[in-house]
Amino acid sequence: MDKKYRISLIYLITILIVLALGIISLLLGSSYIPAADVFAFLSGTQEISRTSAIILAEIRLPRIILSFIVGAGLAAAGTVFQGVIRNPMVDPYIIGISAGAGTGVMLALLLGIEIVFWNFSAVPAFAFLGALLTVFLVYNLAKVGNKLPVLTFLLAGVAVSFILNSVMSFLMVIRTENLQQIVYWLMGSLAGSDWAAIKMILPYFIIGMVVIIYYLKDLNIILLGEESAGHLGVNVEKVKIILLGAASLITASVVSVSGSIGFIGLVVPHIARMIIGPDHRKLMPLAVLLGGAFLLITDSLARTIMAPLELPVGIITAMVGGPYFIYLLRRKTKDIW
Amino acid sequence: MSLMIKTEKLKFSYNKENILKGIDLDFYKGDFIGIIGPNGSGKSTLLKNLSRSLKADSGSVYLDNKVLAEYSSVKLAKKLAVVPQDSQVNFNFNVYDIIMMGRHPYQKRWSKTSDKDKKIVREVMQVTDTLKLKEKNINALSGGERQRVIIARALAQKPEVLLLDEPTSSLDINYQGEIYDLLKYLNKNLELTIITVSHDLNLTAQYCEKLLLIKSGKIFASGSAEEVLTKSNIKEVYNTEVLIKKNPLSNRPFITLIPSANLQENKKNKDFRIHIIAGGGTTKNFLADLVSLGYQITLGVLNIGDADWQLARELGLEMVEADPFENINEDEVKQNKEMISKADLIILTNLPFGHGNLANLKILEEFPEKNKILLNNIEIEKRDYTKGKAELIWNKLLEADNIYLLAEKENLFSEIKRLEKSEMESEL
Repeated sequence: MDKKYRISLIYLITILIVLALGIISLLLGSSYIPAADVFAFLSGTQEISRTSAIILAEIRLPRIILSFIVGAGLAAAGTVFQGVIRNPMVDPYIIGISAGAGTGVMLALLLGIEIVFWNFSAVPAFAFLGALLTVFLVYNLAKVGNKLPVLTFLLAGVAVSFILNSVMSFLMVIRTENLQQIVYWLMGSLAGSDWAAIKMILPYFIIGMVVIIYYLKDLNIILLGEESAGHLGVNVEKVKIILLGAASLITASVVSVSGSIGFIGLVVPHIARMIIGPDHRKLMPLAVLLGGAFLLITDSLARTIMAPLELPVGIITAMVGGPYFIYLLRRKTKDIW
Repeated sequence: MSLMIKTEKLKFSYNKENILKGIDLDFYKGDFIGIIGPNGSGKSTLLKNLSRSLKADSGSVYLDNKVLAEYSSVKLAKKLAVVPQDSQVNFNFNVYDIIMMGRHPYQKRWSKTSDKDKKIVREVMQVTDTLKLKEKNINALSGGERQRVIIARALAQKPEVLLLDEPTSSLDINYQGEIYDLLKYLNKNLELTIITVSHDLNLTAQYCEKLLLIKSGKIFASGSAEEVLTKSNIKEVYNTEVLIKKNPLSNRPFITLIPSANLQENKKNKDFRIHIIAGGGTTKNFLADLVSLGYQITLGVLNIGDADWQLARELGLEMVEADPFENINEDEVKQNKEMISKADLIILTNLPFGHGNLANLKILEEFPEKNKILLNNIEIEKRDYTKGKAELIWNKLLEADNIYLLAEKENLFSEIKRLEKSEMESEL
């Protein structure tokens, strides 16, 4: 009972923090909107100026929602990757999946593909294809016999990232004139947020999450090692492919709107694991909430630190994530997470 | 008894190297089997083929009369559980959660843990004595505790067969016994079929009912510990000299390495024969060493059951035997003479003399030309129970100049070496 109480408390506090962060973010921005107006807008009780209403409804609110989805998605994908690889040093950015998705997006834009049927835009589909190919490539590059040494996995990911990033830069340079846009996209930014972007990625995000949630228990058992999991009745190869596919789908959908934002998928799952333990059924919801919260904070910082100039949020997440990665590398209690 | 696991012409190769070269075996329900063999013989690979971690190139494996490959992963997990060699868990699960994972094959994806699951987990924790570890973190446990938790998890699967790969290889001796005692209990009381791979011959011999000795991918021997662990089998499979005794507590064979027998230089058999006259355990300090140095050793006359007789038998030496507690008879003296006549050196240990074995001393008078080493770290008067007869012969022997009196074991070896050398020189 004590344990359950503690877990509920953790969730409650986290949800409150997320809500508070959302409201604070609504207050922040290049044009000043008084707090009273923001609360009036939220409760809908009182008329506010048309400009303020548009800024809040069409600029700030979609950005807040999108940054939460992007952060949550990257954290969820990171949690899955860390579970399947059984090491918290991996995240979609480091192992090159973000770059793969980005390359997919670039190709889609280059080829001028604007097919949209129902709510599904083809751009995330291309991102998904790029992400999947990258996972497959990195995974097979890193495999030594039957084993997947984490170090080679990381190195293979970094190498593939390098290649894909240069491909992306090349495509962008020959295609677009706007260099600032290129840089922002490569570094990851939420500057282009609108309701359309949310509508575009939400279906992919939801499908990926449903699949992941369905296999959370299997993921727990895979943490014991693939062979042990096999002996406990888990069809390891199948579950691994499905989970990596779902995590790639989420990463792809997120990357197609925000570019590659790094290190959220690395830092957040690890912190969540320290708070609540390795059981994915409890870990995953917390990682999702914390991931959303993390990007809300960092994106608010990106918008305000040098206002009116806006920084790519990827710079800030990398500033936090890089040192964290080094900390994980140098930890004393090696190999126990 | 019904057949549990059967393989037919099982072959497996890895990187084009043939690891298993046609294994046929039958394991029955309730068997407690130890698979032994040198490193790289394929014993772990065999186990992995039985647990379906590896898939055979050709041949077949049957589990309970059904082809192993036809089991679904869940069905297989209910039938067969595995305790792997490396049970390290890199994530901070607590013991209870780890053991509950053993119930996975029985649980639906979204159902809560049932009362039955809880009951079974509690039972297996009792059996494996892990209840008190329940809330502990798996990484806070000692090696032996962790291994018990992993075994508990395997038991929570309610399997009929338990496979273990080197379950005690990283454990201290106290935990080794603990784990094997537990396995024996499970085998006897829960009728669990247990198959364990181990490189520890003695541990396996003490606990397992049946042994399977693997040599380079083939079954070299199988059967009871007595049948499998023989001097010649071990010599052939491991290429090493051992001493095989019986463990008085379990009445199973117990293997001891012969020190320095495996040094290449000592492995060459020497063309130097030594006949030893002994009794009452007077050879125990040096006999095995002499054998390991490569000398051709014979003994006589020894009473059956005597401590020296036992040692000589364990070492597989040629000797003249007399009935227990009987006086040495003429026939035995004659055999002894034949042996002595072939020897290059005679060693007389510091054995006590009575009327029954005085013939062993007398016989030396008939070989004045042979070199003799007499051990006398106990003076002859103190071990003469023949009212001076033995002392008389002894003193007469001492008059010759090819007699060497020695008190220390160390001197014995250097003396033998010296005599061997002069013998070789005289032959040249």
